[in-house]
Amino acid sequence: MNLIFLTILLPLAAGLLTLAVPGRWRGVREALLLLATLAGLVSALLFYKTTLTVNLPWVGFGLELSFRLYQFSAFIVLAVAVFSFLVALYSCWSMAGRPSAGQFFAYLLLTVAFTNGAVLADNLILFLFFGEALLLTIFGMIIIGRPGAWRTAVKAFIIVGAADLCLMFGVILTGKLAGTFAMSQINLPLGGPASLAFIFMMIGALAKSGSMPFHTWIPDAALDAPLPFMALLPAALEKLLGIYFLARLTLDLFQLRPESWLSTLLMVIGALTIVLAVMMALIQKDYKKLLSYHAISQVGYMILGIGTAVPVGIVGGLFHLLNNAMYKSCLFLSGGSVEEQAGTTDLTRLGGLFSKMPVTGACFVVAALSISGVPPFNGFFSKELVYAGALERGWTFYAAALAGSFLTAASFLKLGHAVYFGRASGQDNPVKEAAWPALLPMIVIAGGCVLFGVYNALPLHAIEPVLGARLAHSFAGGPENWWLVLATAVVIGLALANHFYGVKRSGKAAGASDHIHYAPGLAPVYDLAEKKYFDPYDLGLKLAGALAQFLYWCDRAIDWLYESLAVGLAAAFSGLLRWCHSGNLSNYAVWALAGAAAVIYYIIR
Amino acid sequence: MIYLFIFIPFLALIVINLLPQGEGEFAGWAALAVFSAQLAAAALAACGLIGLGGGWLDQLLHFRLLSDRTGLLLLFLAGLVGGTALLSGWRLRGASRSNFINLLLIALTGINGLALASDLFSLYVFIEVVAVSSFVLIALFRERSGLEGSFKYLMMSALASVLMLSAVACFLVAADGMSFAAVRAALAVPGNYLARAALGLFLCGLFIKGGLVPFHGWLPDAYMSAPAPVSVFLAGIATKAAGLFTLVRLVRLAPASADLSAVLLLVGTLSIVVGALAALGQRDMKRMLAYSSISQMGYIVAALGTGSALGNAAALFHFFNHAVLKSQLFVNAAAVEEQTGTRDMDRLGGLAARLPVTGTTSVIAILSTAGLPPLSGFWSKLLIVIALWTAGHQFYAAIALLASGLTLAYFLSLQRRVFFGRLRPELENVKEAGAALLLPALGLSALTVGVGLVFPFILGMFIK
Repeated sequence: MNLIFLTILLPLAAGLLTLAVPGRWRGVREALLLLATLAGLVSALLFYKTTLTVNLPWVGFGLELSFRLYQFSAFIVLAVAVFSFLVALYSCWSMAGRPSAGQFFAYLLLTVAFTNGAVLADNLILFLFFGEALLLTIFGMIIIGRPGAWRTAVKAFIIVGAADLCLMFGVILTGKLAGTFAMSQINLPLGGPASLAFIFMMIGALAKSGSMPFHTWIPDAALDAPLPFMALLPAALEKLLGIYFLARLTLDLFQLRPESWLSTLLMVIGALTIVLAVMMALIQKDYKKLLSYHAISQVGYMILGIGTAVPVGIVGGLFHLLNNAMYKSCLFLSGGSVEEQAGTTDLTRLGGLFSKMPVTGACFVVAALSISGVPPFNGFFSKELVYAGALERGWTFYAAALAGSFLTAASFLKLGHAVYFGRASGQDNPVKEAAWPALLPMIVIAGGCVLFGVYNALPLHAIEPVLGARLAHSFAGGPENWWLVLATAVVIGLALANHFYGVKRSGKAAGASDHIHYAPGLAPVYDLAEKKYFDPYDLGLKLAGALAQFLYWCDRAIDWLYESLAVGLAAAFSGLLRWCHSGNLSNYAVWALAGAAAVIYYIIR
Repeated sequence: MIYLFIFIPFLALIVINLLPQGEGEFAGWAALAVFSAQLAAAALAACGLIGLGGGWLDQLLHFRLLSDRTGLLLLFLAGLVGGTALLSGWRLRGASRSNFINLLLIALTGINGLALASDLFSLYVFIEVVAVSSFVLIALFRERSGLEGSFKYLMMSALASVLMLSAVACFLVAADGMSFAAVRAALAVPGNYLARAALGLFLCGLFIKGGLVPFHGWLPDAYMSAPAPVSVFLAGIATKAAGLFTLVRLVRLAPASADLSAVLLLVGTLSIVVGALAALGQRDMKRMLAYSSISQMGYIVAALGTGSALGNAAALFHFFNHAVLKSQLFVNAAAVEEQTGTRDMDRLGGLAARLPVTGTTSVIAILSTAGLPPLSGFWSKLLIVIALWTAGHQFYAAIALLASGLTLAYFLSLQRRVFFGRLRPELENVKEAGAALLLPALGLSALTVGVGLVFPFILGMFIK
């Protein structure tokens, strides 16, 4: 048995088994989940440094069962294993007692299996297969959330499914152009149809990672889906997979050059995602929804970094991918704990939780500092790398990224202030610290955030070989351009000043961003955005409704054609013929004779 | 050996009438034996298990017969449909029973002669044998409507006889004898206008016999007014043998020409469309089936009009299917009429609950006629459309396809009005028909399904 198959089949089998275990057997499903994810973690650690390829003939027509374990995929598989274990631990606590817990565990394990399959696949069709399978588990995980979650599940399904369709088209086009579906053998120069293939595959990758404009299901899912889902999937796994594939696209499958327009396109998408999503995050008054917009915004940094197509940017983007997965999981887990213990995620009703939930609060502070890019936490170092890459390509991209940082810091100041500090508004309910299965993952991840910041050589030395010969030197250690650090420090200072101005103006921590929210000019735009006027999905639904109405009328017209017109015509002709067939023999004889005369004339003429 | 097909029915007729009649039970069984024997012999010969040539009779007689697969097809169908008709008339008693059996045997003799005749004059004679027995069969009960239908058929047949006899006279002048070979040779000579006129005359005679538009006036009345078992025989085999099978023989004699093609295609599609449209508006179940018969025969003639080998095969295959399906539907109509006493579809409804076998077999026949896969009718219609298309007659192919929709429309309306829907209160006590009607219905349905599943086998047996 090959190790590669183990990483896919073990969670798959465990997931299916979890579905089969009756709910009465207490603890069995939890044990299965923990054991399977732990085994995944151990095996990922075991073959971390190895290189393996498997090639089995399968369907033919270029579709082979081929997997490739190498530096990059092993790194992602390890990350997936770590996060899935921690989230599994957490969900044992948070899903306890819920009727859908068994289903959730099973979907979680299946998700791990499919993600590993997609990451390890060395055949585009195989990748597509695993990627599509993930759609199923996303749908399943959202739909078992709170009542009415099916609407969000359908939305996610349609958005990601449509993007997967683009991916499918791109895969077929690429295979056609390259003459093979083996990913390790494809290296196409861009231009002409190859650019088209790149764009289609890019859409698939971007939708997987949840970047704009494919993001709109994520904030909805934040409210509707079970919380561990948000910590696991949009915050970590989907992004790992989506960004991994985007990196494979730009590094291996196509030769993306810094001067190409596709590189600029990627950077524009990245910059827009950063700024627009964080603008939305800033005004949110709900813990989970605020985090979900950050989950989108942070993807922008990764896309921006990878899109620069310069080594420092790519390394920064990939490093940021890892960092984001860490602090974002930690933040979502803290949000889940707060919801579980305090019973709400509404910022206006929370407050002063730090004294009651000190561990959760401390983990939140570490993760918030990381995401805001404060040294010496990990987010700082990856953001500095992305900044350096963006600056190489143009100051506008750098400015956009910096503006994103300002707004990120501002929104986390607001969130932290409103939830953990300040005064609790309303009744003083007795809130207690969460249990250890919830705390342990948060502590581990928060520790990781510190470790990867202080000792950033550890992750960077794992990421840098991905670029191979392109990299002249290592980026480990401190930033190279201290002007950029200075700019970051100034921006964080400005965010602090802005926060205190906002708090003073509105009188409460949750209203720290109100002066931006209701600023002249911005307020109507925010209003429209909140009403989903900018949601491509809702726009698409409206368009589809209009189209359906139009088709309905077309259908009516066609119905009339064959229900009224055709039937009427047939009945009229039928009546005419019945009238002709009067039973009068002489008429019949005349017809026959006339017919005979015509036939004979025609034949001998 | 092959002469036996003509002699045995004729001898059986004599022997049956020489023996004491009694209740007529023996006559029925003897006739059934004749039909079954013919069915078996034709099937065995088509499979190549028995040879038809040789034998002392062949040495003795000077009258040359033609034995080919097309002829075997007709012999097979004559046995099948004749037996079916006999079974559906099993309940007849007294004089009408013996008349029915005798006339069936005479008609069988005529049909077998048609299948084997090798010259145009014999063909004409056997057509008349079939026709005369049909006249009497239609008026079997000597009631008003039967006599009217019989009279119309007789009159139109007289017209056909005039046309065919004139054709024979012309061929006598224009050709070197009446044999198929001589006629073929005469028609192959360019500029032989007399021969071409004779061809046209004979063609029109056959159009009347077959009942194709606009020569069809007698057909709906005759089919409708004939007693139920007689309509099975008439619609299933008699008019098809006299009108269509002979047409196949005649068209094969003429060299392929655009004029002949055009006439056949036009008459064929005209019959398809007019028959289908007229069927749509009928209330009487048998009259609807009669118009449907016209429409289906139109397909066969149109396929012949392509002049290609595929068209010929398709025409014969549809000929086979049509004989099976139309007999089946007329047997069902006989069952309905026998059990309820009416054929007016507006006074029927919901009979599927009371006549489950009849209703089910009727659905199979209807779907097959309308050309739904995988039933037999689908394959023959498909072949016809392909033949029309590949011969360059896309317009006619489109009409044939669209008319399939009409076929489905009128047949579904029949099924809905007779078998589906709510059972009418006055039909509450209706029972399923007897075994004599159910056995043929089941057998023919099985044939429809079976042929649909293994149609290449049938094609190979009788047609290729």
